[in-house]
Amino acid sequence: MALLTLTVNGEPRSADVKPGTTLLEFLHDYLAMTGTKCGCEEGTCGACTVHLEGRAIRSCMVTAESCAGKPVTTIEGLAAGNRLHAVQQAFLSFEAFQCGFCTPGMIMEAAALLNDRKPLTDGRVRLYMEGHVCRCGAYNDIVKAVMSAAAELRKDAGNE
Amino acid sequence: MSERVTRREAMGVALLTLAAGPVRVRVGPDGTVTAYTAKVELGQGALTELTMAVAEELRVPVSRVRLVMGDTGQCPDDGGTWASLTTPEAVPLLRQAAAEQRGGAVTPARQWRVMGTAVKDLRGQAVVTGGQPYPSGLRMEGMLYGHVLRAPHYRARLVKAGAAPEGVRLLRDGEICGVVSSDPVAAKRAAGSVACEWEAIPFSVAPSDREALKSSFKATAVAPVENMSARYPPLLRRGRLDDAREHERQASSYFLPFITHVPLEPRAALAVWRGESVEIRSGCQAPFAVRAEVARALGIAEGNVRIQALGPGGAFGCKQRGEVETEAARLARLAGAPVLVQWSREEEFTCAYHRPAALVEIESTVSEGRLTGWLHKNFNAGAPGLMTPYDTPNISCEFHRTAVPVRQGSYRSLAAVANTFARESHVDEWAARLKADPLEFRMRNLADERLKAVLERLRGVRGGLACTIEKQARIGLRAEVEVKGVAVRVKRLVYVGDYGAIVNPLNLRKQIEGALVQGLGGALFEEVLFAGTEQKSRWMSGYRVPRFSDTPEIVVELIDRRAIASAGAGEAAIILVAPAIANAVFAASGRRLRDLPLAR
Ligand code: FES
Ligand code: FES
Repeated sequence: MALLTLTVNGEPRSADVKPGTTLLEFLHDYLAMTGTKCGCEEGTCGACTVHLEGRAIRSCMVTAESCAGKPVTTIEGLAAGNRLHAVQQAFLSFEAFQCGFCTPGMIMEAAALLNDRKPLTDGRVRLYMEGHVCRCGAYNDIVKAVMSAAAELRKDAGNE
Repeated sequence: MSERVTRREAMGVALLTLAAGPVRVRVGPDGTVTAYTAKVELGQGALTELTMAVAEELRVPVSRVRLVMGDTGQCPDDGGTWASLTTPEAVPLLRQAAAEQRGGAVTPARQWRVMGTAVKDLRGQAVVTGGQPYPSGLRMEGMLYGHVLRAPHYRARLVKAGAAPEGVRLLRDGEICGVVSSDPVAAKRAAGSVACEWEAIPFSVAPSDREALKSSFKATAVAPVENMSARYPPLLRRGRLDDAREHERQASSYFLPFITHVPLEPRAALAVWRGESVEIRSGCQAPFAVRAEVARALGIAEGNVRIQALGPGGAFGCKQRGEVETEAARLARLAGAPVLVQWSREEEFTCAYHRPAALVEIESTVSEGRLTGWLHKNFNAGAPGLMTPYDTPNISCEFHRTAVPVRQGSYRSLAAVANTFARESHVDEWAARLKADPLEFRMRNLADERLKAVLERLRGVRGGLACTIEKQARIGLRAEVEVKGVAVRVKRLVYVGDYGAIVNPLNLRKQIEGALVQGLGGALFEEVLFAGTEQKSRWMSGYRVPRFSDTPEIVVELIDRRAIASAGAGEAAIILVAPAIANAVFAASGRRLRDLPLAR
């Protein structure tokens, strides 16, 4: 066991962990940051998606140690204070969830996708999000939400 | 967690319960409304819908109502959260209780102000910010993480368990053997590393050998006896099949393999003992049934078990029994500390029950374009959806129980999936044989005006057709497909549903879409595979479920009938997917597929 400190949502967070502990275990089990979800632990469902240095990664597929010194952002840190991220707002407006268990992972993936602000098509969103499972089947609503968030962000960028 | 407050509240409710039957709705001195139900939010919208019902009858905004769900310590037993019964059964109970509080009668649907509108899911803000609690996130002071040791075989006896690594305790009470630790990762790794010796228990019949399984179903079948008071009567008869003996005849049989639920959240339960009593929080669908199951398994009185169900990340019928709750309670008792048991994805695949495999045989007769005789036998899957919606004078619809080599249980819509797949395929086979349009053939054989109105809306829409009456709803679906060799791609689904008075159109549409998407998996590619003494499908990487690219354009059209009682809608849509696609594949390629999955 060794004390490991990571920067999560801008704050240093520490836990005493065994070598080989995944980032998902570090967040969910040791820090009790349960917004990040565990669905498969083999990289196939996307529920555990977080941002590492701004890029979407599967937190079940990397060790916590390997993230030292790199900023980690989770669903709990995506909103700017009380102001929801455009993707969160769109998931809320389109109600793009049912049980909600896939939602944090979906939102984190989509938020990273929209960072590059390239024009999106329905097909491109589906392709990009293919690694995420929604067992409740809210896929079409999720695509609509992501497309609308992209349009929102472009509007904001235009106004800047 | 404010345990003490919760317990005091529970006692208050218990006293009221003694005085005047179960308490469903309470109005506090400050005007706050608290309502109680044993139903659980599974993502199907029960929380929002039941809150709307109470708000409607008390004439208060939805935000003023706090709904306590799924707690056997506080809520009346409204039955499990299954069979799409929340809308037809729990909504009326809460409306009645709330109307009594107001001192008036239940509001007729025509005057609804809250119900009937698209109220958004009350958990929305919490869901999108990661704050919504789920069973896998349960934590408490002094809690240990527990795991049960599992065999590589589907069924096995533990002969010998090796030693646990440092920092982990090995616990055994005869029936189960598990590990617990205050360190979550140490416990999880130990569950996989303790050296165990197992004795495999072989299958009586190989579950993935279709022909062997079918023969076994036939050989062990028990013919049904009439019981019209059952929720799903196993034998439905009218007329005399003999009367249609001379008419044109057609016989076919259909097969559905075992499939499994794959809720996105593997199940979890946290058990805390206080003296002789145990309190368990988990994501089960049926708190009272699970309470009875746990009490039986632990040899204690039901009154000594409290189940608090927390909305899980998906269930679809797989969280009706108390497997993980019992394991957590056992390990916690042995450990002398609170224990959280969280199944891995592999356990969720291999330890949970599956949807039953089904063999359905149909023999029918037609005279002058009308179905005259209908003999429908379902082996193993069950009686739901057995009744034909067609106006056929002579029928015998039968569910035959059989011996089965795997754990099987409830799954969204139960056997209605198998029965509807067989029936709607068979009807389509008649249309083809008689060179009739599938829609016209159905129209000619239907008497139910509401179902005919549903079909009317699908006239002229492209694609394979399926329709039925399920759980009082009238539903129809068109599936447009593209067939390339054995590959089938669904391009578009058009669904029409008449569920009586619509309680929440937004939620209804979402439930229908979700059920249609889930149905694509069972229709096209899902199958749990076994080999030797093992289950081969153990991870999501080895069991395909529908994803973004599988999901076609979906159009949902609803018929709102305010004068008719609302039907439940969490399940029904799933049953039309396979037959509509199979019928579309036939129209596109001339191939009649009678076994699922279709794109095997
Ligand atoms: S839990 Fe990481 S991809 Fe499923
Ligand atoms: S909303 Fe339940 S898994 Fe996506």
